[in-house]
Amino acid sequence: MRRLPVYFLLDTSGSMFGEPIVSLNNALSGMINTLRADAQASETLWISIITFNREVKEILPLTDLQSFQLPEITCPQSGPTFTGKALEFLCKNVKNDIKVGTPEQKGDWKPLLFLFTDGKPSDIQKYNEFIPKVKKLNFAVIVGCAAGNTADVSKLKRLTDDVIRLETTDSNTLKQFFSWVSETIEHGNKSIGTTDKIQLPPPPSEDIIVI
Amino acid sequence: MVNDFMKDEKVHEIYTSIVELETEIMKKWKIQTLVTAFKNNGISTDNGTEKVPYIYTFPHNFLEKNNLIKMNCVDLDKFNLTYNQDTMTIEGTPEVKLDDFFTIEFLVDGEEASEIKHQKQVKLLINPDPKSLWKDIPSDTNALFWKEDDKSEATKIGEKSIVVSSKRGRSHKNVGSFRDDDYAFKYFEDSEWTIVAVSDGAGSAKFSRKGSEIACSETIKCFENVAIKELELFEEEFNQFIDLKEGKQLEQAKETAIKAIYKVAVHAHTEIEKIASETALESPKAFDKTKILNKADYFHATLIFIAFKKINNKYVFLSFGVGDCPIGIINKDRTEAKLLNWLDIGKYGGGTRFITNREIFSSKERPIVSRFNVYITEDFSFLFLMTDGIYDAKFIVEANLEKTEKWLEFIADLEGRNEDNVTLDFSRDLNQLEENLNNWMDFWSKGNHDDRTLAIIF
Repeated sequence: MRRLPVYFLLDTSGSMFGEPIVSLNNALSGMINTLRADAQASETLWISIITFNREVKEILPLTDLQSFQLPEITCPQSGPTFTGKALEFLCKNVKNDIKVGTPEQKGDWKPLLFLFTDGKPSDIQKYNEFIPKVKKLNFAVIVGCAAGNTADVSKLKRLTDDVIRLETTDSNTLKQFFSWVSETIEHGNKSIGTTDKIQLPPPPSEDIIVI
Repeated sequence: MVNDFMKDEKVHEIYTSIVELETEIMKKWKIQTLVTAFKNNGISTDNGTEKVPYIYTFPHNFLEKNNLIKMNCVDLDKFNLTYNQDTMTIEGTPEVKLDDFFTIEFLVDGEEASEIKHQKQVKLLINPDPKSLWKDIPSDTNALFWKEDDKSEATKIGEKSIVVSSKRGRSHKNVGSFRDDDYAFKYFEDSEWTIVAVSDGAGSAKFSRKGSEIACSETIKCFENVAIKELELFEEEFNQFIDLKEGKQLEQAKETAIKAIYKVAVHAHTEIEKIASETALESPKAFDKTKILNKADYFHATLIFIAFKKINNKYVFLSFGVGDCPIGIINKDRTEAKLLNWLDIGKYGGGTRFITNREIFSSKERPIVSRFNVYITEDFSFLFLMTDGIYDAKFIVEANLEKTEKWLEFIADLEGRNEDNVTLDFSRDLNQLEENLNNWMDFWSKGNHDDRTLAIIF
């Protein structure tokens, strides 16, 4: 069976403290439940969650959806956003996790990456250093999500053409965003030829803008 | 003075009671600390799946580690599960619950068994049964290039017979999309050639259902109109080889054959391109993916085909393949299997090549000539053509297609060694065989729910 690996890089820096982190937890949990009820995803989806603030933490290593248990994601009251460090961590993990097709081994579907941030990288040099390395990892799609008006869209644009802008980090917007994410994931396991990237579904509301 | 003071009976009494109270408070405090610690300890049990027997046993040192003297799991009945206190095991056949908790009642060290029990909520997740999640949404019969969900046939072809079935996969039923697979075959009585084509449309390409249909039907058409005539020369050369047994003549004959069927492959490619441009003129709005410039890319489909004929008491097979669909042949006494084509398998799932890719005709790494094969044998028991919907589930990896035992297992599966107790009896009535193959095609295989097409020549 082919696995569809999906990576979430979630910004849990100080600015997410309070309502945003609560909304993020609820939205993630809603998304996971939606995916559990999706026939295709329930059998093939593998999820990894990595959070970053001053520290990069692997909240969950790549785990199949059936045995997946979503832990509560917390964040400190203040502190920097080490997005670069998170990308560095991601590169190491993806290289270890992903099974490529050989005559003896079934290859995974190309992995998907969702990077969610409400700010900008505090470690810009490392961030820039790891952008080309992440791009080389053969993701079927990298979605950058700039949440709220303090998020820096231009930095995300350097990483991927597919940037989504959320007007706010309130619970309704995050819920809609993650429901859109689950739709994107459901598109992830189709034969797409050797070079094509997957097409993103249209955004669900005016609070969510594809840039 | 202090001694005198303590000697006072009243004072002594008060002092003793202070010490006792202090001890009691400390004891209560300790209990409280243990209770809070256990309540805050993130405990998780394995996830379960609806209708699948569930069993979870707490680790043997669980009580000790958490400073508990006793625990019980209550209200598990809402999950349709029970708890065995002796073995500390939760078991049963659960029902779906995505957001629910059960309660652990417990006593910590230092508490009396008669005291009030504490409670802790623990999340338990029961996944839905994957089989129950698949929907069956009909495909839109008014859509451009609609095609029937399932198709099958069984018929005599000269001395042999063919049974073939193509079914819309669960992943397509689930979203109401179309069957992207296709097949076509024809037996030409006059020339005694048979040709069979199988194609798998790319899941991500909008009109791949049409791409696979054109690939197959045009293969047959071009074989009939062009190749059969040209293969007369091949037959002549082949017969000369049989008479004279000179290797050079065989090479010459093979070259002639490949030239003839090369035209068939090119024709399938150009016909798809032609229909793609025509459709783009007629319905420009349907070509709405801004990132796709080449119209034929909307029709991406793999293609395998094989033409065969009994010549001079030998079966001659001429095959072509692009994509990840195998062609396999089993000898007469079922002791040897052979894969007749190589597969385009990318590093990642879905990374294959299509007949619509122009590059396949000019690639230096994978020369087009390597996609053709001429195979000669006395006789055979089975010849199989299949799409990845069958191969992914039954052979799993490419290396297994090279193993005779895997092909024999596959035949055994068809002949009845399967979960559904479907038996294909190849010596019996063709109509019955077709019906049984259609039933066999519905086998359950986790994560493998693509369209399935299987052609069996026997």
